[in-house]
Amino acid sequence: MPTNLPGAEVESVGERRWLWPAFAAPGVLWLLALFLVPFYAVLAVAMGRLDPIFQRAQPVWNPLQWNPAAFGDVFESLFGGPLGRTAIRTLVYVAIASALCVLLGYPVAYFVSRRAGRWRGMWLLLILAPFWINYLMRMMAWVNLLSPEGQVNSFLRWLGATPPDWLAGRHETVILGLVYGYIPFFILPLFAALDRIDTRVLEASRDLGAGPAQAFWRVTLPMSKQGVLAGVVIIMLPMFGDYYTPNLLSGSPRTLLIGNEIDLFINQSTSGGGRGAALTVVLMLFVAMLMVYYLVNISRTTTEARR
Amino acid sequence: MAYHPRENWDPARRRRLQSRREFLKQAAALGIALPGLGAILAACGDDSPGSAISLPIGTPDSPVTQPLSDANAAIASGLDAEAGPLRVYNWAEYINPDVIPLAEEAIGASIEVTTFFNLEESIQKLASGEVQFDVWFPTGNYISKAVAGELVQPLNHEYLPNLAANVWPALADPFYDGGSLYSVPYTVYQTGIGWRIDQVDDEDVLGLENPWDVFWNPKYKSITGLYDDFQETLTMAMFRNGVADPTNAGQNDIDAAADSLAELVDLMNIRYTIDGAYAGIPENRFGLHHAWSGDMIGSQYYYPEDQDPSVGRYAWPAKIDGSTAKGNIANDCMAVLKGAANPVLAHRFLDYLLDNDAALENFGWLGYQPPITSIDPDTLVADEWVLPDMGPAIVREDDFANPQGYVPTQLSPETEQAWNGAWSRAKGTA
Repeated sequence: MPTNLPGAEVESVGERRWLWPAFAAPGVLWLLALFLVPFYAVLAVAMGRLDPIFQRAQPVWNPLQWNPAAFGDVFESLFGGPLGRTAIRTLVYVAIASALCVLLGYPVAYFVSRRAGRWRGMWLLLILAPFWINYLMRMMAWVNLLSPEGQVNSFLRWLGATPPDWLAGRHETVILGLVYGYIPFFILPLFAALDRIDTRVLEASRDLGAGPAQAFWRVTLPMSKQGVLAGVVIIMLPMFGDYYTPNLLSGSPRTLLIGNEIDLFINQSTSGGGRGAALTVVLMLFVAMLMVYYLVNISRTTTEARR
Repeated sequence: MAYHPRENWDPARRRRLQSRREFLKQAAALGIALPGLGAILAACGDDSPGSAISLPIGTPDSPVTQPLSDANAAIASGLDAEAGPLRVYNWAEYINPDVIPLAEEAIGASIEVTTFFNLEESIQKLASGEVQFDVWFPTGNYISKAVAGELVQPLNHEYLPNLAANVWPALADPFYDGGSLYSVPYTVYQTGIGWRIDQVDDEDVLGLENPWDVFWNPKYKSITGLYDDFQETLTMAMFRNGVADPTNAGQNDIDAAADSLAELVDLMNIRYTIDGAYAGIPENRFGLHHAWSGDMIGSQYYYPEDQDPSVGRYAWPAKIDGSTAKGNIANDCMAVLKGAANPVLAHRFLDYLLDNDAALENFGWLGYQPPITSIDPDTLVADEWVLPDMGPAIVREDDFANPQGYVPTQLSPETEQAWNGAWSRAKGTA
């Protein structure tokens, strides 16, 4: 940087390059350790043995003694077996729930960021209010609301309709539960992305003849794409591992998700811990692929923006 | 090698960025290769069950006495109680919260209760050695494993005067733990059928030669539930299929039970729960459910205020007139964990729960009956501990001698693996 300009007392580029990474390093190392160590523990269980008394999975820490049989069982069942059906069901549920979160959450985020005016804080508070209550309790509230004598069915009867049994193993009930549980996590990052859009860009589009709808489709929506993607990633990742929502809102084998299979192997059988750990690792790798796709996308967008 | 910017070249990083299309192509290629990976891993792995240790498995006809060792000795007599707090590891909602302060007063220390969802979960944590508890509540068919795995310590009966004084003689000296060396009984229960008379006709349960068939009656599709417990539910399926001794059933009978249960997914839209009997039936989420007797006695407290609990019914197939089917009857236990920080307090707590008054107080909330001789089953309805229509859920001492009653015993490791596989198939996951 030229030294004869005002403010030229700033540090050189070479000094600045290590400063901020140095601040982030302890946290990053901590998070890496908290990810890698548990991941290795799960891998050690997946590649381990059964103890001779309780037949429970025991970790084997030395990779040279690892037994991949559990992974073999899991892969064989995933490709052409019952676990494959469950995996497809999980993908369908997550895709539908995520799409519904986008359809329902985008208007909310747009309204709060663009139209709420001085009531923005109140709206944000209302969106955040569910976080005050534990996820489990919120799902249990839905059990009461959706029970045959619950408020939802009472309202439907008042309207003259024949209410369905929502809790009798219905796919739509589980999807509804996933949407309800995770939509705040979608709205908030999208709100942040929409809030960052410079209003002057929108004004410019209007000056150039774009109507409100055109301004939205051609300016706001493309500029909020990263926010939508971030929100979708944030909600999809935990949805893949969710098992409590189907347990509470259904209990039927028809609505089992991959998370339920892991729970079945680890908590409901005496000798399935290895397969449960193997399935956990497979799920983590799949989710990691989605994360990599997201990061590739972010990286490309950032690079294009710099040009 | 240089690239044109149109080929995703990033000059700032001096490298070519991967495009979305390339990433997706690589992911698809990986997906195509993965099925073959399964076969390779299976070929490389050792899928054999491993050398399981042979454990003494007691039966009502062939009781066992658990071994003692110097390395795991009972505490000495006459010791002072520790300061506590006493740490209790119990099933969820399996002790009256009002009994806890009374027990604290009796033993002279505070009590902390931690809960588990099922025994497999509790054993995972206890066997890891990473958790510290003093008292544990296993079922009788887990005692041999618990002793062999050194999870529990022998009891000093000098701290347990109520065991000999108050407990049913057969359970003070049970077949799975002769002389109650490592455990004392906590509750007794049958496994039967619970239903609501406004949803299910009595005759569809009580009129069957094999009442377990009601769970396969399409008339009750979508309102039927079974326990999410592989031992209980596979046993029930075997009883339905006419198997007399599920613990020693062959692979064909195990497979047939799995197939029968798998059939229920489409036939009955079956759901698996743990709370379906005591909470699901009162809340009208189920009209018919697999039911432990204690769950049905306790279900009276879960009916909404504007609903009459007298719609609930229970029957144990082993005692239904005209029934040829068998039904489980069993007991839960209490034990002191090896390495307990408060063993004297633990003994005092066990003895307190075997006290006549404390046991009855606990029963009033819990619904599960304690095997206490002073509790007369014939007075439980008259004294309003049990609703009149739930009379069949009362367990009597001679029910254990009922020829159609079946006392589940410990599964051998190979059998347990076979049952685990069957359970996965029953739920459509294997």
